[in-house]
Amino acid sequence: MNWTAVLEFARGPFFKVALLVFIAGMAYRIARIIMLGWTKDRVPPRGSKVEGAAISFLKGILIWPFIPWVKDTFKRNPIIYIAGGLFHLGLFVVLILGTAHMLVWKSLLGFGWATLPLPIVDWLAAVAIVAMIVLFIHRLTNPVMRLISGWPEWLNLLFVFLPMVTGYMMTHHLFFRYEVLYSLHMLSVNIMLIWIPISRISHFVFYFFSKAIHGADFGKRSVSP
Amino acid sequence: MAEDSIYSELKKEGMSRRGFLKFCGLVAGAMSFTMLPPIEGLTDVRGVQSPVKHGTIEMIAKALQTKQRLPVIWMEFQDCAGCSEALTRSQSPTLVDLVLNKITVEYHETLTAAAGFQTEEAKLAAMQKYAGQYILVVEGSVSDLNDGIYCTIGGKSSMELLREAAAGAAAIVATGNCAAFGGLPRAKPNPTGALGVYEVIKDKPVVNIPGCPAIPEVFTGVLAQFLVFGTLPELDALHRPKNFYGTAIHDRCLRRPFYDAGKFALSFDDEGAKKGYCLYKLGCKGPTTYNSCATLKWSGGLSFPIQSGHPCLGCSEPNFWDGGGFYQGQSAPISKPTGTVAAAAVAAGVAIAAGVGMANVAQKKAAHSADKEEEE
Repeated sequence: MNWTAVLEFARGPFFKVALLVFIAGMAYRIARIIMLGWTKDRVPPRGSKVEGAAISFLKGILIWPFIPWVKDTFKRNPIIYIAGGLFHLGLFVVLILGTAHMLVWKSLLGFGWATLPLPIVDWLAAVAIVAMIVLFIHRLTNPVMRLISGWPEWLNLLFVFLPMVTGYMMTHHLFFRYEVLYSLHMLSVNIMLIWIPISRISHFVFYFFSKAIHGADFGKRSVSP
Repeated sequence: MAEDSIYSELKKEGMSRRGFLKFCGLVAGAMSFTMLPPIEGLTDVRGVQSPVKHGTIEMIAKALQTKQRLPVIWMEFQDCAGCSEALTRSQSPTLVDLVLNKITVEYHETLTAAAGFQTEEAKLAAMQKYAGQYILVVEGSVSDLNDGIYCTIGGKSSMELLREAAAGAAAIVATGNCAAFGGLPRAKPNPTGALGVYEVIKDKPVVNIPGCPAIPEVFTGVLAQFLVFGTLPELDALHRPKNFYGTAIHDRCLRRPFYDAGKFALSFDDEGAKKGYCLYKLGCKGPTTYNSCATLKWSGGLSFPIQSGHPCLGCSEPNFWDGGGFYQGQSAPISKPTGTVAAAAVAAGVAIAAGVGMANVAQKKAAHSADKEEEE
């Protein structure tokens, strides 16, 4: 066995299977959530639920991230807010505006887009990795975080951390040969793809569900059940 | 087959001592040796004890003065003769001269003048005469499917011929990607069951010189080393000489600074392409390809694909035909689900969810009615 063969497997059949498991798993999760249905309004709402959901999204995406210090959650735990925010920012920029990743999207979706220069993406990747380490240390040292962290939470960290670190090392050609790091990157990505639907990393979809439900609750201005 | 040493043969052809030493330097370069320990007892032309820096050349000079020619049997199977072609048109005529004249090619299907049974007989005679001494060069993949009927020469299958020739060989050199890893004949769906030589012959040393074609200077370098030292170069996991396949194209690429700066050509005629930016986005396989193209280059050091504006195809790596599209960025997956398959996966997920959901509802109802019955 050689690394070229491992790479071929990780970029080929394994990726295909992992992506299909991811798609089917997420479809299952989303369908299950939708089938839970909305709670019935026992009192006719005075406000608009749609409006409430829309405002909730706009505030959550366009306003709060830029003035976080007015929020209580930020005042109580700025580390998790800042590190978490930077981690997500770095992750999204790398995944969507990184050249290599855009080429993956292009091959999957059939169209591509302009990307950011490598040095910018690279710095954000480094920021995301550092943020992830900060979050890990925080989870490790904070007694409350320790209490609410089971093995799935630690695995979440591991499965997200591995692709990020191997990807970074690969871009910089550190320590190992390129195809070795590329293989490890793809293997860890594939494992993560399979892991996402059965873990809380699925919040990348369900965040929007909970935001919508909370927003609707705020907007309807009537008694909640 | 002359019994003279290589040097005396060269002398007969009118080569001066000075020319001979230059030639030895060329051979040293071909082997990509830059330094060897000084050899005791060796003196240079003036009779002075050899200093360290002349060690390599003098060692080669001594070897060529004492060694006889090296018999080579060259077999072609599922190939295009492109490797032979590249070798004969190499820009280093002295090196080709070394291989074709000073190393005796006893049998070569493309270059040989004779044809038919006579050639086959000559080959068998050479194999007998030099049993255990000759180098077997293989060009092209061997076919194993359906008793090897897809590639036969003189009524014998490629597999049979390879085993027969390999039995008496001192070493085997598989030149080109086909002989090394199966190459083009092995591309999906591999209709002939093509195999690389080192997958078939396990009991003899096999040196792979992959490439499409193999770089002539690499080929001659390996043969020169065997001729001079009687040894084979150190090999990597894929049986490739480490001195030629030790670094990735990417690491020696003249466009590498643009990769590091994140400057890419996005099409073959955009501003980036004109400025010579990195070809990674156009499908360059440089980062995972190990060969000497970026250093030795082609056509006498004139250029190589990336220099002339074409992304590396990865032709010195196994299965390079099926390793993703040639013009697709290397990060793109090799195989991906089609739209239909993805839709089927979504449908399967939803169907299972519906099934589980309904089962839950039914279970709850049953539990509910059971509770009611109990209450009653």
